Amino acid sequence: TVLPARPPSPPRAQIPVSSSLPPPPPKPAPPKPQPHSFPPPLPPPSSSVPAPPPLPSSRPEIAASGFGPAPNTLTEPVWDTVKRDLSRIVSNLKLVVFPNPYREDPGKALRDWDLWGPFFFIVFLGLTLSWSASVKKSEVFAVAFGLLAAGAVILTLNVLLLGGHIIFFQSLSLLGYCLFPLDVGALICMLKDNVILKVVVVCVTLAWSSWAAYPFMSSAVNPRRKALALYPVFLMYVSVGFLIIAID
Amino acid sequence: MDPNQPVTENYANPKTCFFHVLFKAAALAFYILSALFIDNFVIIFVVTVLLAALDFWVVKNVSGRILVGLRWWNEINDLGESVWKFECLDQESMARMNKKDSWLFWWTLYLTAVAWIVFGIFSLIRLQADYLLVIGVCVTLSIANIIGFTKCKKDAKKQFQQFASQTLASRFSSTLSSAFSVV
Repeated sequence: TVLPARPPSPPRAQIPVSSSLPPPPPKPAPPKPQPHSFPPPLPPPSSSVPAPPPLPSSRPEIAASGFGPAPNTLTEPVWDTVKRDLSRIVSNLKLVVFPNPYREDPGKALRDWDLWGPFFFIVFLGLTLSWSASVKKSEVFAVAFGLLAAGAVILTLNVLLLGGHIIFFQSLSLLGYCLFPLDVGALICMLKDNVILKVVVVCVTLAWSSWAAYPFMSSAVNPRRKALALYPVFLMYVSVGFLIIAID
Repeated sequence: MDPNQPVTENYANPKTCFFHVLFKAAALAFYILSALFIDNFVIIFVVTVLLAALDFWVVKNVSGRILVGLRWWNEINDLGESVWKFECLDQESMARMNKKDSWLFWWTLYLTAVAWIVFGIFSLIRLQADYLLVIGVCVTLSIANIIGFTKCKKDAKKQFQQFASQTLASRFSSTLSSAFSVV
């Protein structure tokens, strides 16, 4: 018979991880050699994009997948992984969408990026817009999804080309999470078909989304180029807002 | 391993193998069948991409760990740089891994990517841009996992070699010192 391929290992010294992650529970085990973990350092991300992302908890956009797990995760039960990724999504959402003006370092806040959140928000927005549309539902969905996904990539490239210090997937993750207010706005607009209400709701949620994206984007670039980095983000959210208002 | 062991071993983790294959097969099957029966692109897109994403997550976080003992992820360190981390089980456990499990793992990974690329070529020929979008996402996810795990495996081999050479070197120096102390 084959032995089960799951040797439990004792916990070891932790690589410093952000405090939003709960450490995995220690497992009792006979003394065994530890799992190895070697970080291959890479050149700064502005020069090249590293290998494709983990997705979920990640997912590309998902792709996500994402993660900053504590070292001893090779032998943890599956449920722990699921819980860890879910809690990461929730904490990322809270950090990004409910911005705390007294936060010390906005650039640090999305260190544990993941792409599940952005995936769900983009798909949800596409579905809501598609549902609200009376004709050409498939095209609306495809356009919304393509616009948001391509928009996020292009905005990130914009920041990188402006000489900003931002990590590609972190930025994708951030821009995806900042769509949450617009999702809420789109949902409200779908339920109530009054034009004035739609305009008001879209303006409010648009302002909220831009306000959420502002600290991260502005801290990533040279202060003189802040407007150049932020303006396209605002433009993208405005165009999504127009889509929401215009769909009937 | 004991020489009298039967040549064909069974899967050590049948449930994990099942889930590893389940989402991949479901995504491919749904894509193929829906193109024939369902007219609504939105449903096809959302369900296929969701299944592909779930498959990505399962392979990366569950079956990679359990079937081949490898794990890869990305971290952002304090300096704000992105670091790709690879982790593997120690050498004894890796040697004890079930051969059938790892065969299934790698082959289904490669076959899924090839299948999506073939569908992509079909869509390209038929100039269906929206289906290309779906396939693009699925191909990206499959290839991401392949690259991640391949890098992880290479990294593991390198570590084992380093470990082996370090052990040899330390044993050599300790025998030398013990020989000298005896003298």
